[in-house]
Amino acid sequence: MSIVADSASPHDGPTVYFDGMSNRRRIVSLVFADALEIREDGAAPVSWAYSDIRQTDGPAGMLRVSCLSAPPLARLEIRDEALAVELVSRCQRLGENRVGGGAVTKIVGWSVAASVSIVMLVWLALPFVADHLAPLVPQAFERRMGEASEVQIKAVFGDGACDRAAGLAAYNKLLKELREAAGLDTDVQSAVLATEIPNAFALPGGKVYLFSALLAKAENPDELAGVLAHELGHLRHRDNMRSMIYDGGASFLIGLLFGDVTGSGALIFASRSLVTASYSREAEQNADSVTIEVMHKLGRSPKPMGELLFRITGKEGGRNLSILAGHPLTEDRLQRMTAEDRRPSGPPLLTAEEWTALKGICDKPAKK
Amino acid sequence: MNDLNWVPMHPTPMQPPPLRPVSAKFAGKRGDFIRLVARGAGLELVTAGFYRFWLATDIRRHLWSNTEIAGDAVEYTGRGKELLIGFLFAMAILVPIYLGYFLLTIEAERFKEFAGLPLILPFYAFGQFAIYRARRYRLTRTVWRGVRFWMDGSGWAYAWRAMLWGLFMLITLGLALPWREAALERYKMRHSYYGDLQGSFEGRGWEFFKQGWWLWLLTPFALYFTIGAPFVYAGFKAVEWRWWLSGIRFGEVRLESTMSRGDLVSLYWIAIGWIALLGVIFLAYLGVSLALVVGASGMTFDEFFETKAFAGSIPLIVLAVIGYLAFVLGVNLVMRVVLMRDLWLKVLDTVRVHNIGAAANVTAKGELASALGEGFADGLDVAGF
Repeated sequence: MSIVADSASPHDGPTVYFDGMSNRRRIVSLVFADALEIREDGAAPVSWAYSDIRQTDGPAGMLRVSCLSAPPLARLEIRDEALAVELVSRCQRLGENRVGGGAVTKIVGWSVAASVSIVMLVWLALPFVADHLAPLVPQAFERRMGEASEVQIKAVFGDGACDRAAGLAAYNKLLKELREAAGLDTDVQSAVLATEIPNAFALPGGKVYLFSALLAKAENPDELAGVLAHELGHLRHRDNMRSMIYDGGASFLIGLLFGDVTGSGALIFASRSLVTASYSREAEQNADSVTIEVMHKLGRSPKPMGELLFRITGKEGGRNLSILAGHPLTEDRLQRMTAEDRRPSGPPLLTAEEWTALKGICDKPAKK
Repeated sequence: MNDLNWVPMHPTPMQPPPLRPVSAKFAGKRGDFIRLVARGAGLELVTAGFYRFWLATDIRRHLWSNTEIAGDAVEYTGRGKELLIGFLFAMAILVPIYLGYFLLTIEAERFKEFAGLPLILPFYAFGQFAIYRARRYRLTRTVWRGVRFWMDGSGWAYAWRAMLWGLFMLITLGLALPWREAALERYKMRHSYYGDLQGSFEGRGWEFFKQGWWLWLLTPFALYFTIGAPFVYAGFKAVEWRWWLSGIRFGEVRLESTMSRGDLVSLYWIAIGWIALLGVIFLAYLGVSLALVVGASGMTFDEFFETKAFAGSIPLIVLAVIGYLAFVLGVNLVMRVVLMRDLWLKVLDTVRVHNIGAAANVTAKGELASALGEGFADGLDVAGF
């Protein structure tokens, strides 16, 4: 038979059997009987049922098989092509171990399902969890968090709290009025920090910081009051805690999703910015609602705050992608505040002297 | 004719143990590997990265099974599913630790700004544990001549040693690296077996140091003149590979490597060249997309940039994201083909196995290890070999 001649051609090499118990290399001959018989000179033949034979990984040009009823690492290695073809034709279930197209479809299917579930978690479940979990976090813990971030903020912006007595008195008066109108207890602490950045923010645990650059841009007490009321709104809604739970959860879930695709850092960052920004915009809108509520309660208009913001940022639309912004667009906020504009019915929040004192809260005492 | 009988024409040879060192051969085709990796990268994209477990497994199966040592091919028996389960277990352990770490950091930062930073140390320990256990997983999935490799020893004992040596290395500004690697490799190899053949490591820190000290001196310059970095890194890796391979023993079997610096320098520059080319193509693509979008908007380039409309243009962003993804996949492809497959071949090409006859009659032994370590390595982004 020509097959016999082929099996002896020099580059094909012998058929080799490893019994899976020792690594002895056995040169064997094969007999295709009712089962495959593996025969080695001077040893009892080993018999493998055809239906138990499975293909395993082998180098190009070699058929390597194992057998379910043999030791798991027993291997038969056939380099002779004709012999391999003969064996393949007898083993109907040879390929069952291999990862075929079906398995890949399954992996893709489950991955898509997992991705959809993670996206749903981030969009739907996480806001719910954050909203309901945040009020359960003890105030004491929130205050500790605030203290930790305060230490960092002072390390970055310097410890330049402005403290001219007259200005401080005016500031505290304004804050007290706003706090009471917003329905917050006496736990709120606040300070003015001397920095160049026009901003104000609330820290977890009831701390509000106003940066002097924002104070400098304010033209009347109502403008400033609106901003402070907005920050008090964040405190009232415990937005720090909520956004921390939300951001942390979103980062974790999105990181889990993209895992280890090299270069996925940018993807993770981008998608996280997208989802947390939408959550943050909602929080900002709710804080603006507090501004409107408080200012109305005090008989003042919220519109000046919108004007102050507009003066600082200018028109934002069309410049940046609005879906990436953490705040609503300034012109939209101004529009909303304008719609809520009322003729002042209450007394001014600060007298002219108090306002002047407040504007000068960061001035160094005039001595050289 | 059911009873066919093939008898080899030549009598069963009684091979004496080869006296000459044997080399390793690679039977796989480059095209097959490129197809495998390209398909895998596409699937990674479609599955948002979840395919990585199966891709890593496919890559290893290809590399292992095409590697022939003394005429017999190695086999990798690990499966993607094991890696996925290992990853999920590792996550289940790491997530509570991350949370605890977060709470502890807050406590620490109250007293001193950035005081929470040293708390990162446990993660370093976890990373070292992962390196040990990941190697254990890979080794127990490696089969040659029907007998598997395996490992005992403790991942934590290893992590502890790695931490102390790491501290020592920090104090000596990296000069202790050769001794650190020698000590850690001794631990790993002492606990490695092929069947009943125990491994050991004979590389000495001093040997490594003698071959590589000048690279340590060059490092600051190489970092300053970026162009030199691949040369220095290639030199270091070549010394490291040669030293590591030449130190490996299993019983009386001895490995030796002749890897030279030139071998690796060319590989790194090929990778850099390809990535640079991909970068140029990416930039050109961005330019063309920009031109198309500006053309479609009816504005001039100056108007487009002055109004800052480009940052808000959805078509431009979509085009950029698609280009970016293609770029990332291309870079991945280059890294895997050049820095995994071609490097693997280079290693096989330069390795010699002495006294292979001592591994002629080894008895199977050893248990399979779980893929937990691989999961940690994935979750913590550490790589080890």
